[in-house]
Amino acid sequence: MKSIVIDITNEGEVKIETKGFTGKACIEESQFLKDLLGHETARQLTPVYYSKANQKEVTRKHLPLCG
Amino acid sequence: MSHVARIELEINDLDSLKAACKSLGLEFVPDQKTFAWYGQHVGDYPLPEGFTLEDMGHCDHAIHVPDAQYEIGVVKKRGKYTLLWDFYHAGGLETALGRGAGKLKQAYALERVKKEARQRNYRYLEKKTDQGIRITLMVQ
Repeated sequence: MKSIVIDITNEGEVKIETKGFTGKACIEESQFLKDLLGHETARQLTPVYYSKANQKEVTRKHLPLCG
Repeated sequence: MSHVARIELEINDLDSLKAACKSLGLEFVPDQKTFAWYGQHVGDYPLPEGFTLEDMGHCDHAIHVPDAQYEIGVVKKRGKYTLLWDFYHAGGLETALGRGAGKLKQAYALERVKKEARQRNYRYLEKKTDQGIRITLMVQ
């Protein structure tokens, strides 16, 4: 499940986290929130960001060659 | 999780600000052109960016806070709204709304996200946390 979590502190500070997205989709899908609430002052990318969408795992099988 | 962003809040939607005032029991007074404050700047803190001494006390709309002597001025400038207010303790605003009017900013952000979530037909969950409020939007 893809979700966007918005934490708003009692001091009015806003933090946005995206969950379940892969690659740059998280930036695109949450941009509307940044635009409507103000402007981004800091961004921290997590490892999932660097994974490509629809990336398929390829298993290579090697035959043992003798001789 | 794929990324975390911190946002500096800007007020750009008057309807959400009105809804925030209502949720906190404050009175949004449209077209009130002055707001109550100490009446003179004593220079102990900087004015908001882009504002001069002559701007103090003048506004486009005002917010009346029950049990507070002072009021909040809402000023429209370059497409967004700035809240002008005097946090001198005798005015009662900081007591009612917290440091930096945090409660009002929080309520505004909440209403703004809620409104957008409705328009986009996102599933919306809200819960209180130790530090404030957490909203979760379920994206299809």
